[in-house]
Amino acid sequence: MSRKMTRRDLAAVLGSAATVAVVRAQNAPVNPPEDLNAAAKNQLRQNADAMAKVELSMSTEPAFVFKA
Amino acid sequence: MAAEFTDDIFFATVSELSTRLKAKEFSAVELVRAFAQRLEQLGPRYNALALPLTEVAIRHAKEVDKDLKAERHHGTLQGIPFGAKDLLSYSGHPTTWGASPYAAQVFDHTATVLQKLEKTGAVLVGKLAMVELAGGGGYRFPAASMFGPGLNPWDRTRWSGGSSSGSGSAVAAGLVPFALGSETSGSILTPSAFCGVTGLRPTYGLVSRHGAMALSWTMDKVGPMCRSAEDCGLVLAAIAGGDSADPGSAHKSFYYTPQYARPAKNLRIGYAPVDFAEWADPAARPAFDQALAAVRESGAQLTEVKLPDLPYGALTSTVILAEAASVFEPLIVSGKVDQLADAKQIAGLKAALEISATDYLRAMRIRTLVRKQIRQLFADVDVLLAPTRPGPAPKINEPLDKHTPDPKPKDPGLGSSLIPAGNLAGLPALSLPCGFADGLPVAIQLVGTAFSENLLLALGKDFQTRTDWHRKRPKL
Repeated sequence: MSRKMTRRDLAAVLGSAATVAVVRAQNAPVNPPEDLNAAAKNQLRQNADAMAKVELSMSTEPAFVFKA
Repeated sequence: MAAEFTDDIFFATVSELSTRLKAKEFSAVELVRAFAQRLEQLGPRYNALALPLTEVAIRHAKEVDKDLKAERHHGTLQGIPFGAKDLLSYSGHPTTWGASPYAAQVFDHTATVLQKLEKTGAVLVGKLAMVELAGGGGYRFPAASMFGPGLNPWDRTRWSGGSSSGSGSAVAAGLVPFALGSETSGSILTPSAFCGVTGLRPTYGLVSRHGAMALSWTMDKVGPMCRSAEDCGLVLAAIAGGDSADPGSAHKSFYYTPQYARPAKNLRIGYAPVDFAEWADPAARPAFDQALAAVRESGAQLTEVKLPDLPYGALTSTVILAEAASVFEPLIVSGKVDQLADAKQIAGLKAALEISATDYLRAMRIRTLVRKQIRQLFADVDVLLAPTRPGPAPKINEPLDKHTPDPKPKDPGLGSSLIPAGNLAGLPALSLPCGFADGLPVAIQLVGTAFSENLLLALGKDFQTRTDWHRKRPKL
């Protein structure tokens, strides 16, 4: 569970050496270009294709167990 | 008279510091203040520091000194300063997960591992930088962090590795005696190798993840990054154990007892010569050859093995992306994901929302085969051995997807798949510094069966009695 930042918390962040990096990063939001979005989706398709080549018997259950 | 702190102290192991502390060469307050100040001064030089905790740490150290004075001893970690990856919550203090959208996040609870270390008297002196969201969406540049790229203490034009970047740099630069990192697929082993420190990825479920950022519920692990295998054992003994607050907990204990592990001369170690001869960077091959020779000197029998032929990369990518997309769905759909630093990671997380349930379940079903077939592989060998990474740290401005040998060797070996395979199977691994290439550290990894940490640590300790790579210090 998280809570809102207090002024004391904020002072801790502002006093930290990372402040400059925080500000720099916050000032420069980056939207991925279309080709990166397309590449990410293409990667998912390649993953699915690679996994589709593996034969699975019906008895091969997923690697997690539900417990009642 | 105040104690004088030199590099011999800043680069000492936990056991050495504990001995000197108990001999009253310095107090816990003096030791903690020295490391905390060093971390504050030098941490930013490597983009390693997320949040200094000097005042709180000195308060805790005063309590430790009272305990020591009253002869209330809690073990080797008592009074030892440490750092923690900023994915672990620490009540009342910011926990950023390395990502701008969470820069102001504060939790009201402390991660179980930090509580456990505090109980032993170890003192948290700072939170350490990391790759944003532990790199779950797949990132392309070392600068994928609100703290900037992790800079390597051996050469600041090189990356410290990720995603536990600050943990690797801070231990390597002598800013903390040990640190906690986390690994979903490579995030302890990679920075350990690149920074020349000893890192342990515990078996899945051995160490509680309560209070740690979730990236992949079925793959996340928290583990130590230290100066030696011995130190990894001491820290693991403090943080391991069952936790009802972690649904993935194996509810198993760990006692560091390398003396009872099977001797090296009785062990069969599986490896693939192609990893060392062809996949490794040419500059790193002499170091890897020496490492193989040192392992042979131990008396262990090396035998050639092959990993089962399964699509480890596709499986790891599918499982992590699908689970990460579920964890971070509010971030993605709100559009705040665009505040992340790495464009590839943004695109990866957005696309991950489209992974189908059947693809995720197929990945998890094949993962059952991974576990079964790797278990069969371990019928013939006790430990697997490979370079942790094929070469030294890349330059910080280079994309991370440009590091495959050309031409690619035909035999896949172990090394190219051992990190994803070991993580999919939930197996422990130990990364040991084994030399240098172009002035930068390189390392080997040992992978064992589930809960075989003592065996790996015993082998690592044996390796480190016959080599001194883990003792090398960067010129800061």
